[in-house]
Amino acid sequence: MEKQTSPYRWGMVVDLDRCSGCGACVVACQAENNVAICGKKEIAEGRNMHWLRIERFWVGEYPNVRARFLPVLCQHCRDAPCEPVCPVYASYHNPDGLNGQVYNRCVGTRYCGNNCPYAVRVFNFYSHQWPKPLENQLSPDITVRTRGVMEKCTFCIQRIRRAKEDAGGEGRLIRDGEVQPACAQTCPTEALVFGNLADPRSRVARLVRSPRRFRLLEHLGTHPSVYYLKGGGREHV
Amino acid sequence: MKRRTFLQLGGMTAAGAWLSGCRSANEKLIPYLVPPDEGVTPGRAEYFASACRFCPAGCGILVRVSEGRAKKIEGNPDHPVNRGKLCARGQAILQEVYHPDRVPQPLRRSGPRGSGKFTPISWGEGLSLLTGQLRTLQRERTTERLALMTPQLQGTLADLAARFMATFGSPHHIRFDLLAPDWLRAANRRSFGQASLPWYDIAGTRYLLSFGADFLEYHLSPVHYGFAFGRMRQGRDTVRGHFTYVGGRMSLTAASADRWMPARPGSEGALALGMARLILSESLYDAASLAANGLRPDRLSAGLEGYDLPRVAQLTGLSQQVIAEVAREFATTPPSLAMAGEMVAFQENGAEAVRAVQLLNVLVGNLNRPGGVYPGGGPVAGPENSFADLLALVEKMRGDRMGVALIHGDPLHAIPQTTGFPEALGRVPFIVSFSPLLDDTALQADLVLPDHAALESWGDVIPLAAPRGTVIGLMQPVVTPLHDTRQFPEVLMTTARELGGGMAAAFPYQSYQEMLKETMKRELHPAGGIDLETVWVDLLRQGGLFKTEGKRGKGYRWRAEAPIPLPAEPRFAGDERRFPLHLQVYPSTAFYDGRGAPLPWLQQLPDPMTTVVWDSWVEINPGTAAGLGIGFGDLVEVTSPRGSLRLPAVIYPGIRPDLVAIPMGQGHRGMGRYAAGRGANPLVLLALPPSETGPLPAWNATRVRVARISKEGGLVTAGNPEGSYRGELIEI
Amino acid sequence: MSEPTLPAAKSAGRMNDAMLSSLRPPTLRWYLLAFFLGAVVAWGLYAFGYMVSTDMSCTGLDRPVMWGIFIVNFVFWIGLSHSGTMVSAILRLSRANWRRPILRAAEAMTVFTVTVGALFPLIHLGRNWVFFYLIPYPNQRGLWPNFRSALLWDATAIFTYVIGSSLFLYLGMLPDLAVARDRSAGWRRTLYGALAMGWRGTAREWLIFHKASTLMAALIIPVAVSVHSIVAWDFAVTVVPGWHSTIFPPYFVIGAILSGVAAVITLMVIIRKAFHLEEYLTPLHFDNMGKLLLVIALLWSYAYFVEVQTTWYAHEPIEWEVFSFMAGKYTPALLLMLVGNSLLPLTALCFRRIRRSVGAMLAISLLVNVAMFIERYLIIVPSLSHKNMPFVWGTYFPSWVELSVTAGAFAGFALMYTLFAKCFPMVALTDVRELEARKVLVPFARAELPSIAGKEAGDD
Ligand SMILES: Nc1nc2c(c(=O)[nH]1)N[C@H]1C(S)=C(S)[C@@H](COP(=O)(O)OP(=O)(O)OC[C@H]3O[C@@H](n4cnc5c(=O)[nH]c(N)nc54)[C@H](O)[C@@H]3O)O[C@H]1N2
Ligand SMILES: Nc1nc2c(c(=O)[nH]1)N[C@H]1C(S)=C(S)[C@@H](COP(=O)(O)OP(=O)(O)OC[C@H]3O[C@@H](n4cnc5c(=O)[nH]c(N)nc54)[C@H](O)[C@@H]3O)O[C@H]1N2
Ligand code: SF4
Ligand code: SF4
Ligand code: SF4
Ligand code: SF4
Ligand code: SF4
Repeated sequence: MEKQTSPYRWGMVVDLDRCSGCGACVVACQAENNVAICGKKEIAEGRNMHWLRIERFWVGEYPNVRARFLPVLCQHCRDAPCEPVCPVYASYHNPDGLNGQVYNRCVGTRYCGNNCPYAVRVFNFYSHQWPKPLENQLSPDITVRTRGVMEKCTFCIQRIRRAKEDAGGEGRLIRDGEVQPACAQTCPTEALVFGNLADPRSRVARLVRSPRRFRLLEHLGTHPSVYYLKGGGREHV
Repeated sequence: MKRRTFLQLGGMTAAGAWLSGCRSANEKLIPYLVPPDEGVTPGRAEYFASACRFCPAGCGILVRVSEGRAKKIEGNPDHPVNRGKLCARGQAILQEVYHPDRVPQPLRRSGPRGSGKFTPISWGEGLSLLTGQLRTLQRERTTERLALMTPQLQGTLADLAARFMATFGSPHHIRFDLLAPDWLRAANRRSFGQASLPWYDIAGTRYLLSFGADFLEYHLSPVHYGFAFGRMRQGRDTVRGHFTYVGGRMSLTAASADRWMPARPGSEGALALGMARLILSESLYDAASLAANGLRPDRLSAGLEGYDLPRVAQLTGLSQQVIAEVAREFATTPPSLAMAGEMVAFQENGAEAVRAVQLLNVLVGNLNRPGGVYPGGGPVAGPENSFADLLALVEKMRGDRMGVALIHGDPLHAIPQTTGFPEALGRVPFIVSFSPLLDDTALQADLVLPDHAALESWGDVIPLAAPRGTVIGLMQPVVTPLHDTRQFPEVLMTTARELGGGMAAAFPYQSYQEMLKETMKRELHPAGGIDLETVWVDLLRQGGLFKTEGKRGKGYRWRAEAPIPLPAEPRFAGDERRFPLHLQVYPSTAFYDGRGAPLPWLQQLPDPMTTVVWDSWVEINPGTAAGLGIGFGDLVEVTSPRGSLRLPAVIYPGIRPDLVAIPMGQGHRGMGRYAAGRGANPLVLLALPPSETGPLPAWNATRVRVARISKEGGLVTAGNPEGSYRGELIEI
Repeated sequence: MSEPTLPAAKSAGRMNDAMLSSLRPPTLRWYLLAFFLGAVVAWGLYAFGYMVSTDMSCTGLDRPVMWGIFIVNFVFWIGLSHSGTMVSAILRLSRANWRRPILRAAEAMTVFTVTVGALFPLIHLGRNWVFFYLIPYPNQRGLWPNFRSALLWDATAIFTYVIGSSLFLYLGMLPDLAVARDRSAGWRRTLYGALAMGWRGTAREWLIFHKASTLMAALIIPVAVSVHSIVAWDFAVTVVPGWHSTIFPPYFVIGAILSGVAAVITLMVIIRKAFHLEEYLTPLHFDNMGKLLLVIALLWSYAYFVEVQTTWYAHEPIEWEVFSFMAGKYTPALLLMLVGNSLLPLTALCFRRIRRSVGAMLAISLLVNVAMFIERYLIIVPSLSHKNMPFVWGTYFPSWVELSVTAGAFAGFALMYTLFAKCFPMVALTDVRELEARKVLVPFARAELPSIAGKEAGDD
């Protein structure tokens, strides 16, 4: 294990028993992070830019059929397969355990996109436009990505930065719940919980100890920072 | 040493050949190479509280504003309805402000009606055109020829509109909303004597039984009840609330259920009564509750004679064993709660079916208790049959008895054509639309007086569901208006002032804001004598007036003279042989009844159940589709007795084989570049079944047939249709 | 060997004439060919320019298939490059004397294919204009590329290979350049004179030349093996199902040699025809190359079988999903690949008649290369199409831009080759003459036959 140089290790818990699949988080992420608007053609071509998606699986057949929802965002893997393959360190690991992305560095090899087993990295195949005056909605906190670069969920790093500045100014650490990414903030069912895994008393750390816990594609050894809690009790339909 | 560390050091050694003076300290490498968090400049923004009036739930919002522009909408954590949470739609109304196709100033029609040709005019011209028309009505003493059509307004705006119409002298204020809960108010009046809306304590229940109430998507207050649902599931240490859903289509809400009971359309009421009968016969009922509600088990049993298990199983198409199991679970897992929703109410026998569900709650003692239902818990009263008002207006319009129609909203898109509304509206000589975008109605208007976007407006919003007490959300302009638009109530008031006389006297306010303040003053202190200025700023900062403590809902009880609900055999429009399939038209998760369609974020948002983007579709059971030779994404034609539509097919495992479903919300003629001409409006298919009890908005009682047209449906899904069945590969 | 590898003894002048025939002034047909190739290259450049000036939406790439035919090209061309230098070096070291007339063609091919191949990683970048971020150069920001990335290993290995194989080509050409210098006039004389670096052909020069050649041959083999191993690592070190496989490096090297040998055969046919070298490139050469191809095809088949068998036996769900998807969606391509890389060479090349038929060998070698291109495609595209997350499975088909750039690459290679052939001796003149000089008659049964099994360079 690498040496922990930061008091934070950000992580998220996704409670599949709560998630209703409503998609509020998807729009929250798009609004918060200047995620491009993609038309029908673009999505048909497999080039949707959403950083967070709700996967929907069908299990069984009518009438014994179930639909299951799985919100998938960057898992912020501790051993992130997207990082070592990037030739220019555009995909990097920050001391808080986040997988960061330096848009300026990215040359667009898309190697990281291939090697991310969760397929959460999205590439700017297009030069995205915001027809006037729609560009007014763009947040000044984060850059608008140009064509040819890779992007993805950052755990809303701008919010973490702001919270760090606030806390730093007061000479303390960020309190549990003080920083929330946009998706978790809006989730009506509170299915998404964000916090510091390095703090054993944080809400995420407590939820992670749940017996319902699992991680996506755990066998790959990527050690994601996103934990899922199994949806329970849907056994009889 | 780990392999990555090894490679890193190996890399450093290699790099050492290229550069001199490089330190090989591994942990310094990355921070040294890459400035952390590049591309991020967390700015300081200001937050303004306001309220979302996109749907009647009325959630509280906080708008992040920087550099004078609204940047993001978040939930107001202090608002008791949504506690900091928002649905997808509430966040997307940001794009209403900056929509590239907004009507920037008043328009006067310059081509034939519906041609979309308009000339920009000034507000002065626009207002004098309007007052000119109204003066003519006054002069000719035909003021009742004025119609005002709006969605169901609340608070100050409702007051203002009512006052405007009353003073002007016209009874024709139509407050028809396809999805308004009139049916629930009406049922409550018949069962409990009061036309209130209920409040459900979902968070506290242990057994939730929903009859077609899609409370996670659009029913009453999706964020409020979504929040409660999360708590019901995992908010308590030892209890995980159970959820059973009844309905022929697996809605988003049904997808979260533990058990899905795809009852035959129109049989839901019978199912509820079958359960009631079983609960009675097995003595699982709550005797105290029956007594308190003046009901006697023996009489009830006698009344429900016909709803024996075999018959109910046959009516619903469900197995006897499942019905009995759910009835027993419901009765023996207190506190439980049953709710009825639009998908039941919009059947021809919906009114009674809804009451059958209410009876279930009475039977097991779910009324007025934590984890149960508070029939009087909802805060507002409102129309109980605005559909009848609408039909009456249509009659008058047809008879050329209406002179001017003032329209807020887009009824041409949102009112089923079977009502005859579109043709009738065409006969009205002067139509004024207040739409901020050229929607289907505005395209037919003679005058367009564009309203502000919500984020530019003042207003008060009274939520449909809130913990009992006074909850009034306040809307304030969080950005200065982008265009030369004016707020709808402001325009009404200006018009009244210009008309002078009694009209002017009815509105002794400088502005709509002032009228709003008066309302708040009354709410804060009915007796008067309060200095509002001192609290006004606080109210605005807080986002409204939230008084939730202490006040309990009135303990409504079953009305003594209320009859036992007995839903009739359902009737459908369309002959079963020519139209073998039932049609369900349901509100889209993203667009609600269609008002979300112009917002690109919502168009891009994959529909949760089908993952379709930027389109509409018809859902068909895999077996049925196979029988008709229809494949995923094929273009099909859906034909009802009223009309036909072409749209792509989605093979949908969660729907009855005798049912097809189409989401509403698309199929706009206008409404800007993102909505216009996209998808299809299923309301054109709807027909009203023959009814004995007068017209009822039985939107789900139409039969259709489906035929394959071609392979080219043009359907785009965010998820891979094949991969959607391969969840086992990721072991979820 | 019972058969002469060279035509009956000729005068040195005649041999030189024949072998330097390619340097004669271009004919109209040559111009037409060059013009046609140039036009295709220009079209490819236009397509590339279009992509750079608009954006990458004009490709067929998407999520999850973020690599497509550009990377297929990359692997394919780098694979082809193994022909030359590898084949030439192996044959040189193993003293297979029949190699001599084809050395130059093979070595030149290496240099041009690796050049074309190395362009593709740059072509495929989302932001080609900042390609230099990939290069380690001292800069004020203290930014260095990431040496943990297989792409950097690629860059390093390919760079080494380009330099090595160019030197290899140049070194082998040195004496020929001197001959060309002595037989030409005008700018050619100046050019060859400069390039020949004053070669006089003294014994000492020859001694050094032979030592250097052998050393280069020995050195270039590990470089070539490493290059394609590293290209394989681009895939093998990932966690992509269908890519993450330990057999990839040897398998890629074998595949590279297979396509390389086949390409050399194709070139032999073309050069033989174009420059009328029927006397120097005889059925014996084709026979021998055919045997080599047979052996490599056998190795390739083995490696492929091992790879598939392991996937099938382990039946790891996602791996198996990728394989079944590939076999289902790309059945015709898969069959063509198996026929071209395995079934056909393994059966046809067993027959001496076929190995000695120039037409048959051309057909087989072309088919092998088509099959190898498909093989690269089937490794890259289906694996990405059905990666770990079924919800974001996708498909890919190259767009006109990608196909145009691919066509441009083929034409560019052919053009470089054509130009090279017009400028430099295409047959290793001195090498062939050296062999001629050493020819001795040895008793074979009851007859005396010319033999080339004499001593080799370095022994004298
Ligand atoms: N409109 C506008 N103009 C401004 C300013 C503004 O606020 N607005 N600010 C002004 C100020 S204060 C400044 S300092 C300047 C900054 O102006 P620039 O120095 O132009 O800064 P950037 O736009 O950040 O771009 C730097 C470039 O470096 C590239 N780059 C990233 N990593 C590397 C690398 O490793 N190697 C190399 N060679 N290049 C790399 C990026 O892709 C980018 O193209 O702009 C000034 N001009
Ligand atoms: N994401 C990202 N972050 C960056 C950079 C980047 O490229 N990307 N670049 C970095 C660089 S190079 C720089 S220089 C910094 C710039 O960062 P800042 O120095 O923060 O630059 P600005 O935000 O452009 O301007 C600062 C403030 O000055 C105010 N101002 C304007 N004129 C005057 C004046 O006459 N008097 C006074 N008192 N105030 C005035 C403006 O209104 C604004 O509020 O950003 C750095 N941060
Ligand atoms: S907002 Fe919450 S409930 Fe809705 S889809 Fe996202 S995670 Fe699930
Ligand atoms: S989920 Fe993908 S993008 Fe995120 S850290 Fe892991 S490998 Fe990288
Ligand atoms: S696409 Fe960008 S971030 Fe990804 S590996 Fe290539 S350079 Fe790195
Ligand atoms: S954490 Fe932030 S960036 Fe990541 S999915 Fe959620 S909202 Fe998007
Ligand atoms: S539920 Fe209705 S009121 Fe609440 S945020 Fe959504 S659209 Fe707005």
